[in-house]
Amino acid sequence: MNFQLTEKQKLIRRRIRTFSEDFLAPVAPIIDRELKFSWETARELKKINAWGIQLPQKYGGAELDSISYAICIEEIARVCASTALNVTVHNSVGAFPIYKWGTEKQKEKYLYDLASGNKIAAFTWTEPNAGSDAGGIESLAIEEDDKFILNGSKIFVTNGGVASIILVGAKYQKSDGNHGIGTFIVEKEMDGLEIGDTEDKLGMRGSSTTSLYFHDIEIPKTNILGRLDDGFKIAMKTLNVGRIGIAAQAVGIAQAAYEYSVKYAKGRIQFNKPISQFEGISFKLADMATDIDAARLLVYKAANFKDLNRPFAKESAMCKYYASKIAREITQKAIQIHGGYGYMKDLPLERFYRDSKVTEIYEGTSEIMKLIIAQQILRGDL
Amino acid sequence: MLEVYVLIKQVPKSHSLRIDKSSGALIRENIENIINPDDLYALELALTLKESYDAHTVVMTMGPPQAESALREALAMGIDDAVLISDPQFAYSDTLQTTLVIKEAFEYLKRYDLLITGSETSDSSTGQVPYQLSEALDIPLITDIFEYKIEGRNFYCQRNFGHESQNIQVELPIMLRVRRHFNKPRHVPLLGIKKAFEKKIKIIDFNTLNCPDYLDGCNKSPTIVVKTEKFIPKRKNQFIEGTIKEQAEFIKNVMKENGIERQWTGI
Repeated sequence: MNFQLTEKQKLIRRRIRTFSEDFLAPVAPIIDRELKFSWETARELKKINAWGIQLPQKYGGAELDSISYAICIEEIARVCASTALNVTVHNSVGAFPIYKWGTEKQKEKYLYDLASGNKIAAFTWTEPNAGSDAGGIESLAIEEDDKFILNGSKIFVTNGGVASIILVGAKYQKSDGNHGIGTFIVEKEMDGLEIGDTEDKLGMRGSSTTSLYFHDIEIPKTNILGRLDDGFKIAMKTLNVGRIGIAAQAVGIAQAAYEYSVKYAKGRIQFNKPISQFEGISFKLADMATDIDAARLLVYKAANFKDLNRPFAKESAMCKYYASKIAREITQKAIQIHGGYGYMKDLPLERFYRDSKVTEIYEGTSEIMKLIIAQQILRGDL
Repeated sequence: MLEVYVLIKQVPKSHSLRIDKSSGALIRENIENIINPDDLYALELALTLKESYDAHTVVMTMGPPQAESALREALAMGIDDAVLISDPQFAYSDTLQTTLVIKEAFEYLKRYDLLITGSETSDSSTGQVPYQLSEALDIPLITDIFEYKIEGRNFYCQRNFGHESQNIQVELPIMLRVRRHFNKPRHVPLLGIKKAFEKKIKIIDFNTLNCPDYLDGCNKSPTIVVKTEKFIPKRKNQFIEGTIKEQAEFIKNVMKENGIERQWTGI
């Protein structure tokens, strides 16, 4: 067992950090304040292959391993969590399923544009009446000759307002539970796609979250992803992958809050000494450092299992559950360490705090993560 | 095809700099190493040349085996090939010894049209190697260029010289020492990083080169570091009051008292 990153992974960390500090640091507070997806940032990200981190070189991707992927997302999130969200959703739940389950024709058609970032992808599942109960979706795609007619709506779609290629989970027959669900590739240009207003959110405000409405969208059968009845399975497996990215994102937010806290605690003098010399503060920092390390290692483990083609549903749920929890706790402690300064918008601590919360909610709530973990550990012998 | 070499150095990242108290030398173990920041401008120039002319770019460094990671980073930026001059015999070389070893390396490599360096290293700041190397190789060195073009074997450029700009025409091969912020070093694409680790780095060691005897061993370097001391510049704060004119007058006087005087042309 080796806990060292490879030279390549170290270089990736350093260069993505430099990129993030150069390009993302100045825009992060602005897109947060203005509730705005930055197309300029999206263009810069194209130059470093951030839209095709793991896609094969054949399609223009960087074909990196999953730990390198986690490093990229962490480093972007350390500076701008919203941008990390846009990137990880595009890569791991947008492009990945097409690569994994798509036909050669679908890959040829979509992956070049996705790997280059010419087009942004989204994955939709959640509906007004279906969140944690994923089988309860009501969007309906009815077969008609050589196509399906899609009706229904989706909410809280990450990249909703900016995506050109949207994976939509919809029932193709009325049935209970997880059956009769297919995954359909919807293109922005298709007639009948309506994009709702940008949601006004607590955090991740530099990411475009919208509702999507489907009015009799005609989807050719060539746009079914995988086998027609694989929809639920594809969604669950896709989310296992996506959660590694979300966990890496949470680690990045926590890392940023931690670094600010260490710097501040060493410089802030009260009672004639730096507050880092008081246990009330230094123990908080010790907890933060330990939690971040543990979370990061869980992320790397899940990423490594994925690359080894081992089952990783449990590992992925664990890293997402743990990293999102500590991100929320650490960003809160960071504000506490900064006192009043931390509560002000002049510093990014309050943004980190707001951004962290949703990592416990999207791509499966923490409660669902525990459900998955429990299912996995109770299934076999000890 | 132009053979363009960029000479870089791996240096410790400034915030992790530590000095060994007994030897006075920098501790280079277990610290984060980076490409010397000034060298990034040299690399960027080489990449720009590659885009505009038929050029083959090579990054070269002299250093311990771990300097390989600096070369990989340069390859990731888009440089074609890399050469590492490395041998325990070359350890602790000073600038002169380094120059002479690099000179031998170029004698061995034979073909080169353009050698590009940054202005100085962040870990020793001597800036001596470019000047020494141009002497050793007997090729012209041009510093501080800001405009350039290549036609055949002719290199045309404009360079800063104090308050003047000079137009220069010179025949290749030449050396260029580029100043800081001469250009904007590009960001490294992830695919570049992946490909950089699939490339083979050419190693040049003591035995590869036809080194004269005086080039082996650290004791042959004429420079000896006797002692390293921490230098703390003395500064003091002073608040100035009054109108802008009065404040300017005050600053002028302070400068005059401290021997910093110049001809005032404006207000």
